[in-house]
Amino acid sequence: MTQQRLLPVSRRAFLAGGTALASGVLASPAILRAEPAAVKVGLIHPVTGFVAYNGQQSRLGATMAIDDLNKAGGIKSMGGARLDPLLGDSQSKVEVGVSEVEKMNEQGVAAYIGCFQSPVGIAASQAAAKYNTPFLIDVGASDLLVTRGLKNVFRLKPGFGVCVDQGMAALDALNKGANSMAKSAVIVHESGEFGTGTSKLLSSKLPSIGIQVKEVISHDNPTRNFDNIALRIRSLAPDLVMMSNYQNEYVLLARTLYQQKVNLAGFYSFLGGGFNYKFVKEMPDVSQYMMDTNHWFNPKSEKAQALKKRVEATKALFTYELYLSYSVVMLLADALEHAASADKEKLLAALSASTFKAELMPYGPTKFVNGQNQGGRAATLQSLKGDIEVIAPAEFASAKAVFPRPKFT
Amino acid sequence: MTRQDLLPGLALVAAIALPLVAPGYLVDVGMLVFFLAFIGQSWNISGGFAGQTSFGHAVFFGTGAYTSTILQITFGWNPWLAWPAAMLAGAIVGWIIAVLSFRAGLRGSYFALITLAFAEAFRILANSLPFTHGGLGMLIKADPRPANFQFRDPIWFYYLALGLCIVSLLIAWQLTRGRFGARLVAVRENEDAARALGIDVFAEKVKALSLSGAIAAAGGTFYAQKYLYIDPNIAFGVDKSIEMLLVTMVGGAGTIFGPLLGAFALTGINEATRALASVVPALKNVQPLSLIVYGVMLILIVGRLPDGLTVLFRRIRRHA
Repeated sequence: MTQQRLLPVSRRAFLAGGTALASGVLASPAILRAEPAAVKVGLIHPVTGFVAYNGQQSRLGATMAIDDLNKAGGIKSMGGARLDPLLGDSQSKVEVGVSEVEKMNEQGVAAYIGCFQSPVGIAASQAAAKYNTPFLIDVGASDLLVTRGLKNVFRLKPGFGVCVDQGMAALDALNKGANSMAKSAVIVHESGEFGTGTSKLLSSKLPSIGIQVKEVISHDNPTRNFDNIALRIRSLAPDLVMMSNYQNEYVLLARTLYQQKVNLAGFYSFLGGGFNYKFVKEMPDVSQYMMDTNHWFNPKSEKAQALKKRVEATKALFTYELYLSYSVVMLLADALEHAASADKEKLLAALSASTFKAELMPYGPTKFVNGQNQGGRAATLQSLKGDIEVIAPAEFASAKAVFPRPKFT
Repeated sequence: MTRQDLLPGLALVAAIALPLVAPGYLVDVGMLVFFLAFIGQSWNISGGFAGQTSFGHAVFFGTGAYTSTILQITFGWNPWLAWPAAMLAGAIVGWIIAVLSFRAGLRGSYFALITLAFAEAFRILANSLPFTHGGLGMLIKADPRPANFQFRDPIWFYYLALGLCIVSLLIAWQLTRGRFGARLVAVRENEDAARALGIDVFAEKVKALSLSGAIAAAGGTFYAQKYLYIDPNIAFGVDKSIEMLLVTMVGGAGTIFGPLLGAFALTGINEATRALASVVPALKNVQPLSLIVYGVMLILIVGRLPDGLTVLFRRIRRHA
């Protein structure tokens, strides 16, 4: 007599499969439990207030980077831990920035990124120091940020001291190439920490390259009319106007000088807050031939160009805040990979020893000394035919500079 | 004693207990509320009790912040000692502005504008003078020791702000009971009538502004020690003046608890709307949401309660 099989598999196979299935089902909560905890990253930017656009760009760059990292599998050395952004708005106020630090600390933040405005960054990073939490400066020009001896502060980009030195060298080379025709300058700067610090450096260093400073003009934020300053510049008849101010004032001053047809050999700004694609695309005539030494992406980097395309596809602009914040998130992710932990001590040690390659930027390998990256450098740019071209350093240059600029007819 | 009379005592106990049970973030928010109430009370003394509306109270705040910071950084003073010096400087600036303005017969909107002009002038001076480090601002070296007016645990700044707020409430309470306060109210209601009653209107107004200046200056020093960095815009910026004015107007000008209620309401609304914008996924990228809600709430409060939030408490008391 043959035994009829009710199941198409043997009893032994059925039992083995059933056991495997049951153990799989029973073990699944353990698998879920094993999923690594997300690493919370505090993003503190002025997304409202008078520099809201810049803050929003920073937030966009940082959140894009976090999305990219999470899609790529998170932090591998931490079992694929995802980054979880905590969004904070400093409202351009010091006390609100500090309040955000406190709030995010309660939420278990592993590191902060911010804050665009140096005064907010100074106070917020100081507050983060109490908890020994890393604070990465994405944008913030003041060298005070990294000269206070705080062990938790790291800045990937160069400060205005380095930017001025590099811009000065580029200007000297340009001027010498034009038979040193520029002999005088007027400096126009915003009256805050960033503009004043930059203008002081410029005033002391310009004579060393044969350019005399005829006058230093400071203006408040916000300033909504530059007619008088333009008239003053016209009466002083300098060869160069050198500007150091935020977005709105930068654009307004440039437009006023253009409208009043103030003839100059060149406009040369340092960390010009308004020298970006928005300005160049919206006002190609005004911006034509203007030059700026600023944070800029490496135009020869494929990753930078790909990110630029993605950003522009969303109708946003590829401004320096965006790719600096993006790069700083990548720096943090790299440190997390090396630390293999979000433990603050380990993360601080990993950041201090970081050799991160900022692929979007024209930087050398990262090396932090007192929290300042020594590999960071600025680029000198020129607006040409409605686009922004890199004119120095030579290895990243995408165009040849036009200097002096043609006169108004 | 009615149940309403117990309210301040209960609120004080709750305020003292808050840091023991609340997370650090709420402690920081509480500190901001008491700090705002304190500097708001300085505006309330001259603007609310004496009726001298100022648009430039930041001039006193900034004077205090810069005086103590300069004494500390440049001359090596201990910040605790620099604090009374800063208050004295604030009082002197208040006295000077009052003497110049009231001698010239400035009242109402003219006085408000002259205070705004003084604040702007001080801001420009702070931007230009070498001993204030100009636009670079002044950084106080972090050295968190209580002897240095710096604390590692933020709880102490909270208690300090609470203490300052209580002192300012006691001053306001004294004004509602004492002769000086009565004279100020008389001046506010009708200067000519007050003069006819034998009140030295000029002297009373000068005293009010000097006292107000000293209190705002104390707030300036507190701010500088808490955040360890000041610059001309932070210290003398018009937004500080507006903050002081706003908390008092929203809470109730010329009342004891007006600035405290105003600070509580405005800080609460601001924090709640900011939290909403960062937590609710659909609102995460609606950047100015907090400001829109803040503005709408402000319009509603000022529109529905022109005498401030203290009116609500009076209504409750009346119905009780």
